[in-house]
Amino acid sequence: MSARRIGVYICYCGGNISDYVDCEKVRNAIAGEEGVVVAKTTMFACSDASQQEIIEDIQQQKLDGMVVASCSPTLHLFTFRGVANRAGLNPYLYVQVNLREQCSWAHTDVPAQATEKAVHLVRAGIAKARLTESLDKIRIDTVPRALVVGGGIAGLRAALALSDLGISVFVAEKSEKVGGWVAEMGRMYPHERRGSDLIAKLVEEIGARENIKVFTHAELTAKSGSVGDFSVQLSVADQTIPLNVGTIVVTTGFGSYEPAPGEFGYGTEGVLTLPEFKRLLDESKGPLVYRGKPVNSIVYVYCVGSRGSSKKEKPNTYCSRYCCNAAMHASSVAHDLSPSLHQFHLFRDIRTYGKYELLYEEARSKGAVFLKFDEQQPPEVEKVDGHFRVQLKDQLTFGDEIQIESDLVVLVTGMEARADKSLNDVLKLPLGLDNFFKEIHPKLRPVETVIDGVFIAGAAQAPRNSAESVASALAATAKSAALLKKGYVELEPLVAVVDTEACTWCSECVCTCPYAAIEKVTAGSKEVAQINSALCKGCGCCVPACPKGALGVKGYTDRQIRAMIDAMGASHE
Amino acid sequence: MDYDVLVVGGGIAGMESALTLGDMGYSVLLAEKEPTIGGKMILLSKVFPTLDCASCIATPKMASTFHHPQVTCMTYTRVKNISKTARGTFQVALDRQATHVDLDKCTGCQKCELACTVAVPDQFNFDMVARRAAYIPFPQAVPKKAVIERHGTSPCSLACPAGVKAHGYVSLIRAGMFDEALELILEAVPFPGALGRICYAPCEGVCTRAELEGALPIRKLKRFAADHYYQKHPKPKHGPPKKKQIERVAVVGSGPAGLTAAYHLARRGYSVTVFEAAEKPGGMLRLVPTFRLPPEVLDRDIANVTALGVEIRTGERVEDPAALRLKGFKAIFVAAGLPKDRKPALEGTDLANVVGALGFLRQAGSRERPKLEGKTVAVVGGGRHGIALDCARTACRLGAKQVVLQFRRSREELCIFESAIDDAIEEGVTIQFHRAPARLVGLGDKRVRVESREMLAGKRDVSGRILPGSAGKAAEALDADLVVLAVDQGADLGQLKGELQTAGMKTLAVDPRTLETRVPGVFAGGDVVSGPSSLVEAIGTGTRAAACIDRFLRGTERTPVELPALPAVDPKSVLQRQARYSRLPPAERGKRPAEQRRADFQEVETGFDEAAARQSAARCLDCGGCCECHQCIAACPADAIDLGMRDREKMVEVGSVVVSTGFRLFDAGLKVLYGHGRFPNVIDAMQMDRLLSPTRPYNTVLRPSDGKMPDSIAYILCTGSRDCQVDNPLCSRVCCMYSVKQAQLLMGALPMADVSIYYIDIRAFGKGFEEFYEQAKAMSVRFVKGKVARVEEGEDGKLILHYEDIAGGGKLARAEHDLVVLSVGLLPNQEALGLFSGGVLKPDPHHYVHEVDEDHSPARTSIDGVYVAGASAAAMDIPDTILHSGAAAALSAAYVERLKR
Repeated sequence: MSARRIGVYICYCGGNISDYVDCEKVRNAIAGEEGVVVAKTTMFACSDASQQEIIEDIQQQKLDGMVVASCSPTLHLFTFRGVANRAGLNPYLYVQVNLREQCSWAHTDVPAQATEKAVHLVRAGIAKARLTESLDKIRIDTVPRALVVGGGIAGLRAALALSDLGISVFVAEKSEKVGGWVAEMGRMYPHERRGSDLIAKLVEEIGARENIKVFTHAELTAKSGSVGDFSVQLSVADQTIPLNVGTIVVTTGFGSYEPAPGEFGYGTEGVLTLPEFKRLLDESKGPLVYRGKPVNSIVYVYCVGSRGSSKKEKPNTYCSRYCCNAAMHASSVAHDLSPSLHQFHLFRDIRTYGKYELLYEEARSKGAVFLKFDEQQPPEVEKVDGHFRVQLKDQLTFGDEIQIESDLVVLVTGMEARADKSLNDVLKLPLGLDNFFKEIHPKLRPVETVIDGVFIAGAAQAPRNSAESVASALAATAKSAALLKKGYVELEPLVAVVDTEACTWCSECVCTCPYAAIEKVTAGSKEVAQINSALCKGCGCCVPACPKGALGVKGYTDRQIRAMIDAMGASHE
Repeated sequence: MDYDVLVVGGGIAGMESALTLGDMGYSVLLAEKEPTIGGKMILLSKVFPTLDCASCIATPKMASTFHHPQVTCMTYTRVKNISKTARGTFQVALDRQATHVDLDKCTGCQKCELACTVAVPDQFNFDMVARRAAYIPFPQAVPKKAVIERHGTSPCSLACPAGVKAHGYVSLIRAGMFDEALELILEAVPFPGALGRICYAPCEGVCTRAELEGALPIRKLKRFAADHYYQKHPKPKHGPPKKKQIERVAVVGSGPAGLTAAYHLARRGYSVTVFEAAEKPGGMLRLVPTFRLPPEVLDRDIANVTALGVEIRTGERVEDPAALRLKGFKAIFVAAGLPKDRKPALEGTDLANVVGALGFLRQAGSRERPKLEGKTVAVVGGGRHGIALDCARTACRLGAKQVVLQFRRSREELCIFESAIDDAIEEGVTIQFHRAPARLVGLGDKRVRVESREMLAGKRDVSGRILPGSAGKAAEALDADLVVLAVDQGADLGQLKGELQTAGMKTLAVDPRTLETRVPGVFAGGDVVSGPSSLVEAIGTGTRAAACIDRFLRGTERTPVELPALPAVDPKSVLQRQARYSRLPPAERGKRPAEQRRADFQEVETGFDEAAARQSAARCLDCGGCCECHQCIAACPADAIDLGMRDREKMVEVGSVVVSTGFRLFDAGLKVLYGHGRFPNVIDAMQMDRLLSPTRPYNTVLRPSDGKMPDSIAYILCTGSRDCQVDNPLCSRVCCMYSVKQAQLLMGALPMADVSIYYIDIRAFGKGFEEFYEQAKAMSVRFVKGKVARVEEGEDGKLILHYEDIAGGGKLARAEHDLVVLSVGLLPNQEALGLFSGGVLKPDPHHYVHEVDEDHSPARTSIDGVYVAGASAAAMDIPDTILHSGAAAALSAAYVERLKR
């Protein structure tokens, strides 16, 4: 008989599980399992009341093992480890069984079999719980310094905010000066402030701070160590500068979509991308003139390079978010410069979201004309006698064929992820399908990445405008400070371990580790592998590679896995 | 500084700000006005574009916020005012609203919720279903603690001078809990039978339903409860209390005041002896004619008192109440009433066959009833609560040929029971208003001539009371065999000897706060103190007297013992609260035919049967929320309910403030042409989100009119957004995407259903949104470019949309759907602006909290040290809210650092 005292909780998940799995039946089936002293069902195991109930059970029944059969561990593993912790139970004595994603949702058509499977899954969880061990978190003291990669508006603002909180900051900017895209801008929406002024003010402020050091011509070339204590190398001009920082904030911004030659006439004089047009506007003091010729009419073509409408091989499927607003604003600025200008906006959907709707309204009130085209029938741009002839089927006039003559064609181009991927090689940050840096959770954890201590902000994460990038930079600052202000971080102890008796240092394992956490050490008379537990993520890649079976992962020992398999396969009928 | 940062509002923005600040090591106070944190996000089904279940990702956030060592959550707490100090900190006044549940004791078992008899619209399900007044908002609530919703005291309960929880027993009757209803009444008074018949029912006078089709028959509902209970329990269920006090108390007089005091004292464990001069207990109640109050009902009421061990000594007149102290009584309550007829200053009142009303009624109730067959009876005056009517109607039943009642004032002043006047007239009484006798003349044959004058109608004084008018011309004289004078009553002053002697006074004097006379230990109350009053007022005095005497005997201070009631609810707010009413006409009063009545002394009014009682009770509007039926108190295993809890103000000083009060949803009813509120099958998108959520009210998607699954569902985007007609030119940012989300979820929930989305532009602008939109198209959600002009209701609850079909050549088109969902927009929650005194928190032109430097420091407001997070600043989706809240936290932290430096 197991001496363990295990509590098992089967969650209804408000119907997500109980609509398909007979939770009461599961409970009854496992209540008599060896070591199980508490077996209960609950409507929402994650609810506060249920958590309290579990805590009481742990304390009153003196439980030393706990199983919650609910949803995926990615959702609630930490929730229930926290419950265990609050009850005084070592959190690693907790085992989560996934009855929702792996059972009820997968077998909605066969409730009886789903129930049977659930019983097996819970039994496996109990089998593991009998063999769990208490583990302690790995504690690492943090360095109260941060590195900001990218000196655009997001990076500069993040640096100031970190400095405000007493954290020293290094800013690494690749180009010869900081400021990024915004530094080049004149009037920007929605507050009509000049981009160059915004940057100048930040630069001035940063200059006054003793705890901010800015490097230009600087690139991040190496990173080692782990959250709270990274060693990084900057290559600055010809020098290599080593730095020791606690967190890294990546604010490398975006690239502008470059249309394919011939895409809506791109390459022809007079066909401009949105940034090119913006520059023209910023440089104009009076009525709009392009290459010496007065501009009397402009056609804007929207969604160029966004929403899948590109002539390139792999078109960007996403919406670039900022471009509708920016085009509206540009249109109003152009009108202010040349009030007699005729402007035609050829769009698919106008996405001036939120308060930016007012930009749309303003552009309309300034005489801009809007025509909607279908993505299957994009407008055609042709240059005839020094003028452009743009043809489209306008949906707003119910499919009328319309031909517009214009002096300029502005391609409302979107944002793209930076083309230079060298930073990814250093930081090993995952990218999304859109090539922007990928956050842990797009909804609730948008600035955090799978690499603890490395944050992403601004347009490096997704297309967004300047003010939104600043907000995101401040959010990354707050998360960064949350790590550094405490003075230490705690890491998961579920890492690989080496049986030095069995290890012969064949080095087979080294190349399997994506985190470079395995190194060679001398133990007594022989060379063996050693795991840097601060770097190891416990992924387990090394374990099967070892010909001697000398590697294992804490929390997922062979014994535990075998016990689970046995329990799952065992017949109890 | 009590906390580094105050976060106002515990939605996703507030939680994210609080958690981030807490993680940074700052101490945070999170104030949330609802009983749970979680805001609107926790109420959603799933969230775009990841289709995460909102509960699954918000619940851990709620739990970790609530349990964060650096975060203190105060729920059900309103921020009343914030002002900045010279040091740069903020002084915050918090209103910790009474939950009426001790949160430390409550285990969230929901027994109170099951026991609660009041159903109110469930705001957490956007009024689609009901919840109880005692409730836990939803299963994932944090903290999972019950709250009892009280808007104030219901007007009916507050109006009762005897402290009967009228709303409570009405609610219990509505729930079919008849015994419990009567037991609740017995908490306050021992006379439910009498009150249910002859109380003047001040409760009905203030009933909010009177503003609609008529007040509830609250008095008759009490009678129903009493009749039902008395039939079931001919003898009281209860006996003397287990807890005993050693002190003995004497009560002089067994009228309603005396017996009520005895009842409450006995319940507290005192041994009580009641001295009654008359042969039967009951005081003035005994003189109420049996056709209004059957004697067996009164006896059963009095049994409620005697069952507690109270001894009633009838036929024992107390000459000197104060002297009872020498007989071992530690306290004496004098409630001897006004048993004497007082004659008016009128010539001829000493004639034979001129009697007082009390004397007449006493004789009529005795074995030797006056014989009035064929006689003419004149009743003069009104008397207390129309005692003249009682006399006149009694005379009719005694066979009088003619009964004439002369009253010098108007009809409305005769009797508080309007119906009793009609009853009397039906039974044959002639009532002469504005007429009063000038003198009575003996006619030798024992008959009396009543010489009367017309009385002019009096004017109203400033308070609206009608003053007596002056005498006018002489009226026709009336020769009567008997004249009954129902004018005034007086105390048996001969009784009040010794120390209580009141020279020249008609009544006894007491300290109005303690009811104590000038003799320590001797208390007085009821009519003998107040002058003629009503039954229910006398009972109220008895209750107060018992409390005063108890305090006196326990030696605690003799301060007033007023019933601690919340202020009354404003009826207007009740009527506004309930948007729709079904018309429920009041039940008929019910009485036996007049000719039958005249022939006997049986009860006139008939009672309710069960169905009529429940139906009448069901008309209650539950003005106060909680009805004080006390079922929760009985049900709570943790003894956590405390209805005496009151709102508390709390002051705290904080370093910085984050405003995260969120948004309001556009009221879809304002787009009148879309029919929300008129057509049951037009719902708003928040309601649809509830229908799709894991804690959904119907466990599937049903349309409201007939509970059928809809086959064809239409969404109308931009309802209340991008619309100058409703004064909101802004785009609400989230509606396109939540509609696309719901469409996808509906495809799963109702695989056979078609979903059409009518739109202006689809704004799928955020990360992953466009792909999500494409996914919906691939799932064959129909997107129709075109603005809907109006919605009409067709046959079978179907809805007809009139819209401009842009893709179809711009025609005006019609489409039929089973269910229409209005994708309502977001509006600023302007409560945020009122948090700071002096309007120093500046709004932007659209009434959101103004971000003064969005380019450099989004979330910064017009007040240094105050930051705004999430939808208080602008409509935004959850990912943007998270970023914005992070920004607010970072700036707030920087401000606190500056303060600490």
